[in-house]
Amino acid sequence: MLRILLSDNDDSFTMNLAHLLHAATGSTPQVVNHTALAARAPAAEQDLVVISPGPGHPDEYPCYGPVLQSGRPVLGICLGMQIINCHFGGTVKALAGCVHGKSDTVVMTDADKTLTVGRYHSLHCATTGAELQVTGRTPRGLVMALRHNSLPLYGYQFHPESFLTAEGVWCIRHALRSLHIL
Amino acid sequence: MRCVLCISCDPRCIPPLLDFLARRHHADMLLSAPPARAESCADVCAGSPAPRQDVPLHPMHESEFMAGIEPVESLHITAATPREHMQRFCSNRHTPVIGYLSYTYGMEQYGIAAREHSFPAGLLRRYQCVVTGCTRTGRLRLLADRHADSGLVDSLCRLLQAGSPEPPRPHTPVTAAGPLRQSLTREEYQEGVRQTQRHIAAGDTYQLNLSIRFDLPLATPPDTTALFLHLWLNRPAPFYALLHDGPLTIVSTSPERYLRISRGTVLTQPIKGTLAFDTWQPQLVHTLTSSSKERAELSMIVDLLRNDISTRCRFGSVRVTDHCSTFVVDRLIQMYSNVHGILRPDSTPLDLLLDAFPGGSVTGCPKLRTMQIIDRLEPHCRDLYCGSIFCFNGPDHLDASVAIRTGWHDARTGVFSWFAGSGLVTDSVPENEYAETMAKARKFQEALCP
Repeated sequence: MLRILLSDNDDSFTMNLAHLLHAATGSTPQVVNHTALAARAPAAEQDLVVISPGPGHPDEYPCYGPVLQSGRPVLGICLGMQIINCHFGGTVKALAGCVHGKSDTVVMTDADKTLTVGRYHSLHCATTGAELQVTGRTPRGLVMALRHNSLPLYGYQFHPESFLTAEGVWCIRHALRSLHIL
Repeated sequence: MRCVLCISCDPRCIPPLLDFLARRHHADMLLSAPPARAESCADVCAGSPAPRQDVPLHPMHESEFMAGIEPVESLHITAATPREHMQRFCSNRHTPVIGYLSYTYGMEQYGIAAREHSFPAGLLRRYQCVVTGCTRTGRLRLLADRHADSGLVDSLCRLLQAGSPEPPRPHTPVTAAGPLRQSLTREEYQEGVRQTQRHIAAGDTYQLNLSIRFDLPLATPPDTTALFLHLWLNRPAPFYALLHDGPLTIVSTSPERYLRISRGTVLTQPIKGTLAFDTWQPQLVHTLTSSSKERAELSMIVDLLRNDISTRCRFGSVRVTDHCSTFVVDRLIQMYSNVHGILRPDSTPLDLLLDAFPGGSVTGCPKLRTMQIIDRLEPHCRDLYCGSIFCFNGPDHLDASVAIRTGWHDARTGVFSWFAGSGLVTDSVPENEYAETMAKARKFQEALCP
């Protein structure tokens, strides 16, 4: 069984993500609010930390530095991916014509796969941080997935846990394979 | 409770019966389809000559009703009421409980201080006698508590067997004692839409439900029973409720189910996406369901409701069916979806009712920050509006509405209040959202002050 810590950024899709993580791994994630993350045991006790979606800009969530520097596997979803990006010096900016509750196509470049996904975001990764490699884009070129070149960090801008995403379990398992924990 | 009478009557006798129970006993009642019209839709289309098969009715167009007579015990819920107290109150398998939860209860659960208000946060109530029945078949049952007054039981038995002595009194418009007050003017509402869209652009919210409160001061107390039955018979919807709580008489005409839980099977039916019409045309359904804006509005709330029931449902049990289905109510085409789940064995229907509260379709998403923004944008208190009215039929059976299209008379102030709102998204047009809100408000406005 994987030990998964799911950090909730006061989002309303966190339990969808918990159910998806269980479907993909058979493990029950432990959900903690992001404000309690610092008080939690260090990431070393976890096989995986998942950073949930949430409102606002990554700058509002300064608590993730230690987790991202720990060298332990982290998966970031939506805001979670943007938090990874900002931590490594990327920028997150307003997206002209923001998209919420609509499906789109994502071409994955680290797998032979085109996905139908649910998108919810007002902001996007305008520039990517150092050592981060884009692994998925929309047909219009927006960053939809990324990974770190050497650290076990993976992110999705879209929402694998949305019912608008056709292959949510595949998305989680793909990220975990990339993080070498599957 | 035990069943003391089970008979069949002509379904047309049911409205007079309900009228009598409301007037004589201040009965609380939950109604779905009215008699004779259970199979018809002429009324939902407000006189337009639509062939019946063209008009999608609510799929849960049930015909069951329940009336609670003479309370035995009432529990007024506050933010501090322990869950165990509420659980105990609803725990008798044979005793139905009728109640409500105000939106303000949900605000407190999310740590948002409700502004000053005098509306209770919630109520649970058991009764000496309960009448249940079906407006389609005319079946009537009288349930009586062990300690029910025998004179009351006898008189209700005679009433059910004989039919009500009087026809219902007709509804008449009220006499206003002052102008209708609206908490947000057209300009203010549209400015609220634009402010919401700035929050959406900043990533604070994806969708936000913005409402208006309408207050009508009355010269004399209104005949709320007549108003309620008039609306029920002429503007049918699946979740009518008439509740008497001290100085408050609540008239709810909601079309929306918040939760139904029956022996662990969970159903929630969020409504988002609205198209108002004056003349019914079948192709309007396609106009609504092909709108990417309206579909996105519903999809967001479906994901939100999936999340909210997932807190208490088994892994792998939550699924969506009939996405972007439609039905017609109040001269509006409404789009909805079914979200299903299986309750975890360690959770009760009350747990889910409280943990998923307030219903996601009337907050927006994500819930916490969106509710905080609503609190800043709306100058009024929602009180019961956007809360829930519900019935526990034993601890394992719950059916709960979202308390929209809902109003009440407050005898302390002499004011009748009602509300309406609209879900705002990034591509909302402020003028259209205001028009949608006013279209939802017109049911009360037309009935009270035509």
